[in-house]
Amino acid sequence: MATQAEVRALRLSELPFETSVNAGPKYVGGFFTAIKEIASHRELLDLLIRRELKSRYKDSSLGFVWSLIKPLVQLLIYYVFIGQVLGAAKGVADFAIFVFAGLTLWGLYSETIATGTASIVSNGGLIKKVYLPREIFPLAATGSAIFNFLVQMVVLLAAIVVLGQFPISLNLLYVPAAFVIVLIWGVAFAVLLSALNVYLRDIQYLVEVVMLLLFWASPIVYSWGFVVAAVKNHTWLLEVYLLNPISLSILAFQRGLWQAGSQTRVLEGKEVPPQDWPAYMDLRLLGAAVVGLIVLFIAQRIFSRLQGNFAQEI
Amino acid sequence: MPSQSDPRVLAKAPTVVRATGVSKRFVIRKEKSLKERIVNFGRSQKHKDDFWALRNVSFEIKAGTTIGLVGANGSGKSTLLKVLGGIIQPNDGTVERRGRLAALLELGAGFHPDLTGRENVYLNSSILGLSRKQTDEYFQSIVDFSEIEEFIDTQVKFYSSGMYVRLAFAIAVHVDPDILLVDEVLAVGDEPFQAKCMNKIRQFQAEGRTIILVSHSAGQIEDLCDRVVVLSHGNVVFDGDAAGGLLALRESFEH
Repeated sequence: MATQAEVRALRLSELPFETSVNAGPKYVGGFFTAIKEIASHRELLDLLIRRELKSRYKDSSLGFVWSLIKPLVQLLIYYVFIGQVLGAAKGVADFAIFVFAGLTLWGLYSETIATGTASIVSNGGLIKKVYLPREIFPLAATGSAIFNFLVQMVVLLAAIVVLGQFPISLNLLYVPAAFVIVLIWGVAFAVLLSALNVYLRDIQYLVEVVMLLLFWASPIVYSWGFVVAAVKNHTWLLEVYLLNPISLSILAFQRGLWQAGSQTRVLEGKEVPPQDWPAYMDLRLLGAAVVGLIVLFIAQRIFSRLQGNFAQEI
Repeated sequence: MPSQSDPRVLAKAPTVVRATGVSKRFVIRKEKSLKERIVNFGRSQKHKDDFWALRNVSFEIKAGTTIGLVGANGSGKSTLLKVLGGIIQPNDGTVERRGRLAALLELGAGFHPDLTGRENVYLNSSILGLSRKQTDEYFQSIVDFSEIEEFIDTQVKFYSSGMYVRLAFAIAVHVDPDILLVDEVLAVGDEPFQAKCMNKIRQFQAEGRTIILVSHSAGQIEDLCDRVVVLSHGNVVFDGDAAGGLLALRESFEH
């Protein structure tokens, strides 16, 4: 019997000591240490995402269909009331595709931030009991948001194909670019806000309000052309508008998937010119991605400073 | 007596946990909302209480030891256990450790009520550090240990508290830890199951695993531990054998 104990003792005596993980590196490399740690927990991340998805519509007979019903109803509301009744669809060809493209990408961003912000507090039971790299919780929330995004994406692509205008062109490259940028910024805010939310619970309610506001700050239900026309006397306002990485990503996403926006169409007898997409879009997107990565880095550093006291603050 | 108290093993056992000058301060704020913080801004010192849960605690634990942390309520033993487990970061001092660590701090902490027993076994094992493949291997053995085979595909929210705890304990003991942290959770289930848990703990001792135990049960401490650390108001007041520890504990109650 002692042999098993001896084998263990021998193995342990050869292991290096690790300092309590939480005392964690405070230097720049800490970011990469954290990424490595999360990578070694990717099986857990996968299970947490599944848990989130499985438990969301558990016991409902429609299940996942619910995650589609909400955006489709949203689409209907915006299409009928904003588009037809209030007239935002005038001069916008294929308004339904235009709106649904915007809603799909916006859904990814808002769901990542909203569920991510609450993720640390709602997993408090686990955080108080077991040591895990805590970034895994906002990331799991992101994972389930990506899943919902992909489901909506399938619907969007199906609609585009049914309408017979699949946009096969280089513009399609804007789609993954927009996705990546939204993901970088979404994860950065989710990580940062989830940590702040532990210390100040108001954050999660504040986020809801701010997201409501930001929805209208991006060209989702109104077109870019509308913005250009509205501020034609103060063109510098357009630059301010485009500083929002999400507005920029949504524009890029629409440019990739909403073919009618890049063509001349005839609508109710009037000729509609293609959208006047913002200049230097590629460069702007690159900028948004680089700045986003820097913000993500800073967010993670703040997170790792704050996480030392999570267990006692929750 | 458990065989790990065999002096030959203990003599050359490596150190697995080393705490050096660990201190932990809690700041207790009396306000939580933004409004209260703004209203009390500048006077916020009045609304804070400092409280040292641990003061300058240092010790080493050798592999294969079963060590009991005891003390009155609020003496800092659970905090110490959490600091050792890396869940709380100390304000001062360092904790070094090696080997796989599993915490039996509160059984079923990672259970999700809407998932089935089977799904929870995979989730909880993963939280405690097992890979999917390892869980596949241990799955049958976990279910057998918990004795709830017929309910394994039922959502755990329908479990009785006994079934819940059985499944959680079964997972925790299958994680193959080198260091096991136990916080007052050994008194679970009915009598036969408790006996089974105690057997498992003894088997762990025989296998040279290190067990760090927080308990209020003098009987359990005397029975299992070969070393006792007594805490009082965050300070270590005694560090030695079980009998002496229990004596020191009674003394500390009187202060």
